[in-house]
Amino acid sequence: MKRRVLNFALVALVSGIAGAFAADPLPSAESVLDRYVQVTGGKQAYAKRKAEIAHSTVEFASLGIKGTMIRYAAEPDKYYTSMDIEGLGKVEMGVNGQVAWENSALLGPRIKTGIERAEAIREGTMNPTANWRKLYPKVENQGIEMVDGEECYKVVMTPAEGQPMVGYYQKKSGLQVKLTSVATTQMGEIPVELIASEYKDFGGILEPAKMTQKTGPQEFSITLDSVEVNPAIPSARFDLPADVRKLAEKAPAQ
Amino acid sequence: MLSRCLILLAAAASAFGQARYQDAQHQLDLDSFEKVWTTVRDKHWQTKPGGLDWQAIHNEYRPRVENSTNPAEARAAIQEMLGRLGQSHFAIIPAAIYSVVDDEEGGPGVTGIDLRILDGQAIVTSVDPGSPADKSGVRPGWQVLRSGGKELKSIIDQARSNPAIHELQLTRAVAARLTGPIGGTVEAAFLDRAGKTIDLNLSLTQPRGTLSAFGNLPAQRVWFENKKLESTAYIRFNMFLDLPRVMAGFQQAIEGCKSCDGLIVDLRGNPGGIGGMAMGMAGFLVDKPNQRLGTMYMRDTTLNFVVNPRPEVFAGAVAVLVDGLSASTSEIFAGGLKDLGRARVFGTHTAAAALPSAFERLPNGDGFQYALANYISQGGQPLEGLGVTPDVEVPLTRAALLDGHDSVIDAALGWIRRQKTP
Repeated sequence: MKRRVLNFALVALVSGIAGAFAADPLPSAESVLDRYVQVTGGKQAYAKRKAEIAHSTVEFASLGIKGTMIRYAAEPDKYYTSMDIEGLGKVEMGVNGQVAWENSALLGPRIKTGIERAEAIREGTMNPTANWRKLYPKVENQGIEMVDGEECYKVVMTPAEGQPMVGYYQKKSGLQVKLTSVATTQMGEIPVELIASEYKDFGGILEPAKMTQKTGPQEFSITLDSVEVNPAIPSARFDLPADVRKLAEKAPAQ
Repeated sequence: MLSRCLILLAAAASAFGQARYQDAQHQLDLDSFEKVWTTVRDKHWQTKPGGLDWQAIHNEYRPRVENSTNPAEARAAIQEMLGRLGQSHFAIIPAAIYSVVDDEEGGPGVTGIDLRILDGQAIVTSVDPGSPADKSGVRPGWQVLRSGGKELKSIIDQARSNPAIHELQLTRAVAARLTGPIGGTVEAAFLDRAGKTIDLNLSLTQPRGTLSAFGNLPAQRVWFENKKLESTAYIRFNMFLDLPRVMAGFQQAIEGCKSCDGLIVDLRGNPGGIGGMAMGMAGFLVDKPNQRLGTMYMRDTTLNFVVNPRPEVFAGAVAVLVDGLSASTSEIFAGGLKDLGRARVFGTHTAAAALPSAFERLPNGDGFQYALANYISQGGQPLEGLGVTPDVEVPLTRAALLDGHDSVIDAALGWIRRQKTP
């Protein structure tokens, strides 16, 4: 709360300064996003990344719950994530290029449809940072806002299908430090706020080692521990689990 | 002369002391008012609680508490303020009454007795096989008269005289009087089938179940049982926790009884737990996609409790058993399946405590209950405060228990049998 009040005061102050001095013209959204690609490693670094396995830890601090997460991803748009959360068991999700799915000890198998599927497929795109032009047909720089005491460009990225994402990119470093959106989930539309920090080099690309995500009433953090770059991932890794396959066979074509 | 001075001094001191006490109590009542008001302002699921101008409510009621001449007046003003919300589960429990349910010796050790308050009496409803109570010959239907030298009837009558004390709290408070440290004993007096008083010194042992931790919650003992009653599957578990084990047990029970006539899910005494488990279990029983058990409304988010049909869904008749101790996730499950027309609910009215409602002690010692969200079951009714009304109201009776019958299970089995009759 204190931080919000402080930020509000700073925003007001900065607005006043910006108005008084009529500072630099606002860069285009395209240049802000391209700069983010550049400062995190550059197009060539991303082009070299064909596949990865990311190992993370997850923590719901207020609930006292921890877990581990492993994410396999491969070009062009395949991923499989498995989380093991204390007291909740295993949660798996993935995209095999066509079918977006989820399976958990809690809710069982499920195939995502509509906007939720589109969002999952977007999420499954390898190197989404470098591929922003493919993912977001419309981007707009809406100005400067303060995030954690730093000036940031507020860029609204609108996909062909689904809700826009709002990225906040530090004016000074070019790094994305915050992302907000409204996630379309089976349980409804849930506001999401993600704070990215502690950027580190993982195999030639700078990635936030810590992400704190507020999803509706829940807040949790993801710490990226390590990334295996271009490992050999058997293609079967992205096959649908048996229970999901049964549902896919029953479900109408997407 | 000296003694007269002392008397006057003593009288003055006494009067002064009384005034100071009143001031201190008055301040505690004012602090309690502020605590209640700010809690509703900050935690109610509506930004305008109850659609009211909550600041105006403060301006209206604060002077009432300031001008109150005794704690009862202050409490009445706070209670009236909460009443303006027009919503259940916002209540003040006077410290004196609160202490009736709070004053429990308690401990982790149990005798193996489960009980309910039936017609104002504490009646044994089940006895865990092999437990100290079982070994001592305690049987369902016996009345618990005394525990630790205290008459339970007077405690029950006192608590029942206050509508703020719900069946759930009362039963827990009475049951807690049969608990204590593991390895210890508790003296209890029972009235048996023949009307004879039986005094027993019962050993206290580990409660049934496997210890299961979930985040910051204290570790709980969770048990799951599943058996066949004739050609009907019967599932019972004591809470919606230990997710991996309980969900797997539920799945195995369903898959192991594909050809059963029916399924009974017994949620009596189940206080709830992880809300999502209601959705997960319903997925084994509902074959249509995009069905909901209900919707939870919080200040910033609306969550639909959606059911994912599993690849293989149980097609037979489903009966859900509930009672006044079935709360939270139990109510979400029972109410949602009832509203979807997928289950018939048997038993007695549920606890009407579907939400994360919290109890706090106020600075003046009173108890304060408040709800944090609103949950509307698929049929359009809020569960909080209303609970689930069974399709078939069947109370447990002492007479049936003494005869070895569970009238609620009997009613559910009878209904399931009739479903297969052409």
